[in-house]
Amino acid sequence: MTDQIAVFIPPHSNIAQRLRKRFFSSAMNSVITIIVGLFLAWAVWNVFNWAILNAVWASPDGTSKVCHGIEGACWAVIDVRWRLIIFGLFPFEEQWRSTFACIVIVMVAIMSCVPFFWKPMRLGPLWVVGFAIFYTLMAGGVFGLSYVGPADWGGLTLTVFVYAAGVLIGMPTAIALALLRRSELPVIAKTTGAIIDAVRSLPLVSILFTAALILPFVLPGFLVGDKIWRVIIGFALFFAAYQAEIIRSGIQALPSGQEEAAKALGLTYWQRINRIILPQAFRNALPPTINQFVITFKETSLIVIIGFFEVLASGNAAFGSGEWSHAWVEVYCFVAMIYFVFVFSLSRYGAYLERHLRVGQH
Amino acid sequence: MSNAAVTISGMNKYYGSFHALKNINLTVQKGERIVICGPSGSGKSTLIRCINKLEEHQQGSINVLGTELDDNVGNIDQIRREVGMVFQHFNLFPHLTVLENCTLSPMLARKMPQDEAENMAMTYLERVRIPEQAEKFPGELSGGQQQRVAIARALCMKPEVLLFDEPTSALDPEMISEVLEVMVSLAKDGMTMLCVTHEMGFARQVADRVIFMDQGEIVEQAAPEEFFGAPKNERTQNFLNQILSH
Ligand SMILES: Nc1ncnc2c1ncn2[C@@H]1O[C@H](COP(=O)(O)OP(=O)(O)O)[C@@H](O)[C@H]1O
Ligand SMILES: [Mg+2]
Repeated sequence: MTDQIAVFIPPHSNIAQRLRKRFFSSAMNSVITIIVGLFLAWAVWNVFNWAILNAVWASPDGTSKVCHGIEGACWAVIDVRWRLIIFGLFPFEEQWRSTFACIVIVMVAIMSCVPFFWKPMRLGPLWVVGFAIFYTLMAGGVFGLSYVGPADWGGLTLTVFVYAAGVLIGMPTAIALALLRRSELPVIAKTTGAIIDAVRSLPLVSILFTAALILPFVLPGFLVGDKIWRVIIGFALFFAAYQAEIIRSGIQALPSGQEEAAKALGLTYWQRINRIILPQAFRNALPPTINQFVITFKETSLIVIIGFFEVLASGNAAFGSGEWSHAWVEVYCFVAMIYFVFVFSLSRYGAYLERHLRVGQH
Repeated sequence: MSNAAVTISGMNKYYGSFHALKNINLTVQKGERIVICGPSGSGKSTLIRCINKLEEHQQGSINVLGTELDDNVGNIDQIRREVGMVFQHFNLFPHLTVLENCTLSPMLARKMPQDEAENMAMTYLERVRIPEQAEKFPGELSGGQQQRVAIARALCMKPEVLLFDEPTSALDPEMISEVLEVMVSLAKDGMTMLCVTHEMGFARQVADRVIFMDQGEIVEQAAPEEFFGAPKNERTQNFLNQILSH
């Protein structure tokens, strides 16, 4: 009872009062507050010292000499090597193509987040055009652009491309798997279930490995295609197996009356799925779906295993050569920041969607 | 051309090994209003859900508006468009507004243009006396209002037959009458109706025939005066004594 009174904060109290109630409500609380506060101040000061005050930001001559004997961060490594991290081994004079390609994919992804585009007839063409521009820019071979094979793509652009393509192929596959698993025909439901469970029980690394290195021996020549596409499809399949179960859980959360009412109105199977079942299932399954998107983004770093130079791998390369090997913390901070920007935007967007979609639910 | 809306003969329905409906014979003429009552678990819901094939029967025949509901029924969706249904728990689509709930099926299943569908939906929402709620979501309405929307939604398909499965039994007492009023006015307009309900006042007022079911069988059917005045079967008498003593 006394606790509750102590924690109760009247709505109009001023900041000093609030602070006192929150952090200094008893002698013990005051001591803890002061100790934790001192520790935080010390930590922040040290990080600030290292990252800002004593840091070296640039290397005019492009060597690591500027960083010898300094106390702080050697951001010069980013200054000198950022192109490697962002573009991988993409030919230096052509890196503007990689820049635009990356921007196109990110723009298309952002546009897909706007409710206006949430129709198959809008989303489909948007992404087809987006990928067409991306591919033309990256691969070249037309319009006077020199040819750059996918083996030379790399860095952030590659990460974004593999992610977008994987999710985009994976999402319809996931919907199809989820619906097939609910099929009234036991053969179809069981087979789909077995496929989903099999894919989920394999590590992603082994799927990527199989797609990149083993499939070429197994598939007939005309089906082999480029390694990047086999890897993307393996990646998409892995995403789809998990996302299918997420969608299925969203469908199962619906009261059976929803489908019955739709049937009773004479809606066909696809009308029921598109207009009644899936819109509600995605709302129900939004938090785990966002979760899956975030995890998948981070899992793109595994494609380095089969020789793709995505952003983390090119980060490793940026300090890997002797000269900058002391600056690995700085490079990892930079790469972490890139991941953070993407993943944090995703989760903020997820939170926005949850609020937005809740309108209209009880 | 017969004038029957629904003809059921020798129909049996099983859930697994459980015999849910036993040798049902029932003919409903166009424009007829039928009330079905009986104790819980007697198969009332199962019976009317067989009429739009939400449940499948195993033996006998069901003919709805001239189409036989057997395994060959090519397009069950076609028949369901002519047979409206109102559920105990309303089953409105929570992600769509009241207006969208009403226009969805006319636009998709009947290919009606949006403005036409909206005009028609507003007409029916006025008919059930909640046009002012059109832009709200179902979750923002009371139970009685939701059920009236559900009736309007069914009417928007201009069905030949309307099935009601205990439309008032999930409602708070003060909301029952607003729904019953709408149902009475539909009955007066000559809608073919099969209503599972225990609202005996409603049955007296509008039913052409009252059917009593028990343990999967039709035990007795008669015009309301006869049904309430002089029930023949003992089980009917017991049932009526129970619900009318409340
Ligand atoms: N989906 C089902 N599976 C198995 N048994 C069912 C199912 N639906 C209903 N039943 C059984 O069939 C009988 C009739 O049910 P129902 O038609 O819902 O009765 P009522 O509507 O008259 O209360 C009940 O004994 C019920 O337990
Ligand atoms: Mg029932």
